[in-house]
Amino acid sequence: MKTLTTANQRKWNWLLTGAAILFAALAVVVCLLLRPKAGSLDRFVIHYGENETLTVPAWETRTVVIRDGALADAATGEGEENVIRIGNGEAWMEHANCPHGECMKQGRLNETTVASRPLGTWIVCAPHRVYVEYLGENG
Amino acid sequence: MNVRTLTKMALLTAAALILGFIDSLIPIVPSVPGIKLGLSNLVLLYAVFYMRPAEAALLMLLKVGLSSLLFGNAVGAIYAISGGVLSLFGMLLMHKIPGISAVPVSTVGGILHIIGQCVAGCFLISVQPVLLYAPWLLISGTATGVLLGIAARAAFYGVERYERRHGT
Repeated sequence: MKTLTTANQRKWNWLLTGAAILFAALAVVVCLLLRPKAGSLDRFVIHYGENETLTVPAWETRTVVIRDGALADAATGEGEENVIRIGNGEAWMEHANCPHGECMKQGRLNETTVASRPLGTWIVCAPHRVYVEYLGENG
Repeated sequence: MNVRTLTKMALLTAAALILGFIDSLIPIVPSVPGIKLGLSNLVLLYAVFYMRPAEAALLMLLKVGLSSLLFGNAVGAIYAISGGVLSLFGMLLMHKIPGISAVPVSTVGGILHIIGQCVAGCFLISVQPVLLYAPWLLISGTATGVLLGIAARAAFYGVERYERRHGT
């Protein structure tokens, strides 16, 4: 019998589980302490492809289309495509054909939402490796 | 690998894929991508407890490879494999402790899965967004690890009772 345990073993099992939870809690605290602080909004940096970036001033109105890791002129819905909208000091993922489309559910990134968003200063499309970063005046 | 093990592997792979698909349909926190129940880890936990380590490793690779092919993409596969390898390694090590139940094994597996994915994220994205991501993923990974462990312990109890009764 592998899972039928004695009282002592049960205690030991819960102790091990507690230790694992404590380790995870400590890791959460460390991550929260190292979390970067966002200043007043200055620009958005879009990361795409192989370490390529595009900087857009925060108050510019612009639609950026990224297809298969490169900038594209217009959205066609083909390949791995992301459409990022920037305007009135905010950025959001308007469209993406990634599996599950989770980046579109991350909401708008602006000075008001940056403190309360779970992903803080970032919009992340992990499957397409497209990221939008909020940068303050001091970078 | 004999026919019995081969059949078991095929059934478990199919179960893991179905559970993975159901998992992808359940949104936990929509604004934080990557948070899932990890239902298919129940199958992997079964493999850790009732199969050989090499068979458990093969099952994990089949699960990651096929689910990435069917429901994901190459980048998703990198995250899944780095989390899967570290998690399986930890669970196999934990399983060596005499009298250990599925709850601590699953909890450690859940935490290591997240750590593995965060390490992959540091290479694929950068450290900064990973630091923002990690607390959410660690909280969810630990919670789902404990819950899946409790579910697995109940299921294993049933499996063992069935095996005792039928002598398989």
